[in-house]
Amino acid sequence: MLSKLITLGMLVTFGASAHEMTPAYPEVKTSHVKNVVKVEMSLFNSREEIKYYQIDLFDLNWMNIPFSTTYRIIKVEYKEHKSFDVYIREIDMDEAVYLCTTSKVKRTNTSRTLISSRICSRLDGEPT
Amino acid sequence: MKYSIAILSLCAFPALANVEITGSVEAKCVIQTTKSGAYGNPIASKLSTTPADGGILPIVRYDVSIADAYIASITHPTAFSSSPSLTDTVAWTGSTSVTQTSVAGMSAYEAAKTVVGNTTNFNLTLAGSTWFSTASSAVYGSAKPLPGGTYTAVVQASCIAK
Repeated sequence: MLSKLITLGMLVTFGASAHEMTPAYPEVKTSHVKNVVKVEMSLFNSREEIKYYQIDLFDLNWMNIPFSTTYRIIKVEYKEHKSFDVYIREIDMDEAVYLCTTSKVKRTNTSRTLISSRICSRLDGEPT
Repeated sequence: MKYSIAILSLCAFPALANVEITGSVEAKCVIQTTKSGAYGNPIASKLSTTPADGGILPIVRYDVSIADAYIASITHPTAFSSSPSLTDTVAWTGSTSVTQTSVAGMSAYEAAKTVVGNTTNFNLTLAGSTWFSTASSAVYGSAKPLPGGTYTAVVQASCIAK
């Protein structure tokens, strides 16, 4: 319990410059389109230098799986929460495993390493 | 009159109700870029993030709210994302290490890490925060001096639900 409280406190206290996507194990819902399912996700950007995130869907071997969403590269302002829906064909759901968002880094004019962050949720359910 | 007073007194009392506050802790991973790295140029043919070479190690922090739900996967660069025109090959090396932890047991992550190609994987078996630093070095072919200009490379920090 104490460790959870400390963790939550740290998440609140040191939340600056972070990339966060939830849920880790999203619920797959029916959509308004026949034979297509929907996954509702939420993204939070507190990386000041990042404005765009790319959405990708992969199978267990990290091969791309087709999907549809409003924008594959979404603009998320600093300290902004953004919800987005991902639509996947039912026939692809047997293969779809990782739903990821990746930060798009900007070119700079200093010699440095840039950090691209990627968070992946699992569509095939929580481990038992 | 008595009835009126009784009715009014009922109206005057505020309505009382218990309002519940509920919350839940769900699996969540937050990647924080604690420090962007910088390349030092200790010799003409080499760029390195190692402090001894004049560089700065990039540091990322992973915060996980639930134990044993995520894998941290960090990939050091094997190419420049932007650089002056290079005519020879570049030899890349790199590594990722645990540098700081919020829970003592996390120090075992370093010994348990697995390296596949240029990617280092850490099994985040405990809830809390872990800091990782990535060393990256690039040596230009045949010890030629690197052309003047700006060099940028990308470290990919992934947090993957198990």
